[in-house]
Amino acid sequence: MARVYVSSVINAPAQQVWERVRDFNGLPKWHPRIRDSRIEDALPSDKVGCIRNFSLQNGDNLREQLLGLSDYDMFCTYAILESPMPLSDYIATLRLTPVTEGERCFIEWSAEFSCAPEDENDLVEGIGSNVFQGGFDALKRHFGG
Amino acid sequence: MARVIRSTVIDAPVEAVWDVIRDFNGHDRWHPAVAASQIERARPADCVGCVRNFRLESGETLREQLLTLSDLEQTFSYCLLDTEVPLFNYVAHVRLYPVTDGDRTMWEWESRFDTPKGREDELADLVANGVYVAGFDAIAAHMGIADA
Repeated sequence: MARVYVSSVINAPAQQVWERVRDFNGLPKWHPRIRDSRIEDALPSDKVGCIRNFSLQNGDNLREQLLGLSDYDMFCTYAILESPMPLSDYIATLRLTPVTEGERCFIEWSAEFSCAPEDENDLVEGIGSNVFQGGFDALKRHFGG
Repeated sequence: MARVIRSTVIDAPVEAVWDVIRDFNGHDRWHPAVAASQIERARPADCVGCVRNFRLESGETLREQLLTLSDLEQTFSYCLLDTEVPLFNYVAHVRLYPVTDGDRTMWEWESRFDTPKGREDELADLVANGVYVAGFDAIAAHMGIADA
């Protein structure tokens, strides 16, 4: 299994950051790489099991299914159903943890997946930098650091 | 039962912070509240089950037992055995997480315990600020870095 782990610190209380990222259909609102998104079958976006169907700025289309969502522990887990990337069995988790000292929170985004050995480095680097850290950078800009 | 949790971000790589705090007998070298500490029966300080016997600057003596130590997850837990401070059923967990963005460390320190009736707030404040937050500041000073 390939594994990606990226973490950062956002200068805002965890609850505020969670409000921005908890909407499984909300990627276009906060992630610069996502152009548009819809939830299939008109389900609510916080219904566990729902599928988001979204496009990247470059036109690629992905389908991802919500596997777990917790407002108490502030995490969301999802799987890729279809994507143009040469990988399978992809499961990712986005998690927020409050930091008591200072008005800030700890954010982690991790994923595990299977792929051909020759693709692993590029996939880990691409997902870690463009998707995960790219999302953190956008949140840091939004929340001022 | 009281629950205390405190966390901070230290501007140093997780391996460097772990290197200092994983020593269950090392707190007298960096924590301002601890005057002297020793491991009973001359056991190694990373032997799970070992007991540290230490004296606070304020004079009280405490014994704490190491329950968990993981170099993989950079975490340890311990409980209080005998104490002149009225904390009962005290179990604490320390965990470090890597902050990959900037190569820093997220440090979480939490515990649950019982106290005599009416003293819960006072003792929770002592644990949270006198032990945990003071420990965060002391590690940063000990390592010669500022809080991130």
